[in-house]
Amino acid sequence: MSEIKKGTPKRGISVYSYCRLLGYTMTLDDVFEDMYDAGATCFELLANHIENYPNPSTQWIDHYFHLCEKYHMQPAEMGHWAETHLHRGPRMSDEQILANLIRDFKLANLLGFKSLRTKITCINEYCDPEPEWEHLMELALPYAEKYDVAMLSECHAPTKLTRQHIYDYLEFADKHQTKHFGINVDFGTFQNQWPEDIYSPEEMERRRSRGYGKPDSWSQPEDIIPILPYSKTCHAKFNYVDENFEERTIPYAKVLQLMVDNGWSGNLVSEYEGPGREDAAFLGDQLRRHHILMSRILGY
Amino acid sequence: MTEQYFVQQRGFHNIYNDDGTIWGFQFKMCTLYYKGLWLSQFRAGDAIVDGVVYPKETLIWNIQGIDYSREEMYDRMDQYWQVADTATVKVPCPGGLKQGYHTVEIQFGWICNYNAALEPDPNGNTLGIMGPYTRMSTAAGSAHPTERRLLLVW
Repeated sequence: MSEIKKGTPKRGISVYSYCRLLGYTMTLDDVFEDMYDAGATCFELLANHIENYPNPSTQWIDHYFHLCEKYHMQPAEMGHWAETHLHRGPRMSDEQILANLIRDFKLANLLGFKSLRTKITCINEYCDPEPEWEHLMELALPYAEKYDVAMLSECHAPTKLTRQHIYDYLEFADKHQTKHFGINVDFGTFQNQWPEDIYSPEEMERRRSRGYGKPDSWSQPEDIIPILPYSKTCHAKFNYVDENFEERTIPYAKVLQLMVDNGWSGNLVSEYEGPGREDAAFLGDQLRRHHILMSRILGY
Repeated sequence: MTEQYFVQQRGFHNIYNDDGTIWGFQFKMCTLYYKGLWLSQFRAGDAIVDGVVYPKETLIWNIQGIDYSREEMYDRMDQYWQVADTATVKVPCPGGLKQGYHTVEIQFGWICNYNAALEPDPNGNTLGIMGPYTRMSTAAGSAHPTERRLLLVW
């Protein structure tokens, strides 16, 4: 049996990390410069960070590509939402839902994104999908293929990678033999530490009430292995990196090593979700530390 | 740029009629959510200023230059309210507010079906399933999460 060629993930940043700053104290130019300083070479943009979404001006699009070029940054993933209940009462019609999805596919294609973090309507905190998800994704798939964007459903804590709907999504991709549907693994699913100096007792109480931090409520690093062929982009979620460049809540070394050893070469986009996101200097420092952490594990 | 508060200081003043009388007052607000919203996802509640309740049915919401009533927003699934953009809340109040400090609160929430049960009230009469007021039952929450003390000049 031939040895699996080691993967070479790209290090990037999700602009989501700046969600408490972009538009408040930072411009998109500031964000790109900060990401560049951290050593990122690709990025995730949420649809709502596109000025005048869903109809950005040509001036904005020009400026966006100017920033990509200036800071040597590749578009990795666009976060968007497959909305099904935008009006009161029953869910929207298939035609309405599909029209919105196609609009986003075209926009992602225009802006150079190959991955989409497609949020499928959920019915609980474990992100179990609305029953009609398969029908809707079947309608959308030909258009995702046409515009060459992969719809990735995020596996986000407290959802584990072993939850039934994750298997259902993988089966869907197999059944349709498509690379345009898959999973974005958010590393929060591996979080197994809840240090008291990061999470106040009140914050922990709130999180526990939503399913976080209970025994056996997180994924094991090995759980990622069968998911990797279905994933082009993952959220490298982190909550605090200390001055020794160790992440204190998520087993980073183990997870990243498994990804590399199993030949994964997708986009790893840092997503900071710890306290202090309102402070640009603190956040910038955390993102820099996080990229040092990842580069030391990856070796580049 | 937008202030990192639900209720904004900029934009807080009385609104004058052409004849110089005061129609009411206005202030700006922001959801502080990480994403924008389609207007139909937004749920507007009352404004409370110095303990006086200004009912949700009477408020006018100006978003991207267009005035909406609470009811009108429910059907605007085509109008996107960009993240970090403010809405101007216009409050009918003949005579307006006096010069000085006022405690301003605006109740609101939204419906996003991303990690919770679907909206239980299909009439859209609640403050939604997410937003600053859905945390009130926890120790970390406050009964008046959006309240802010602001100085009005004119």
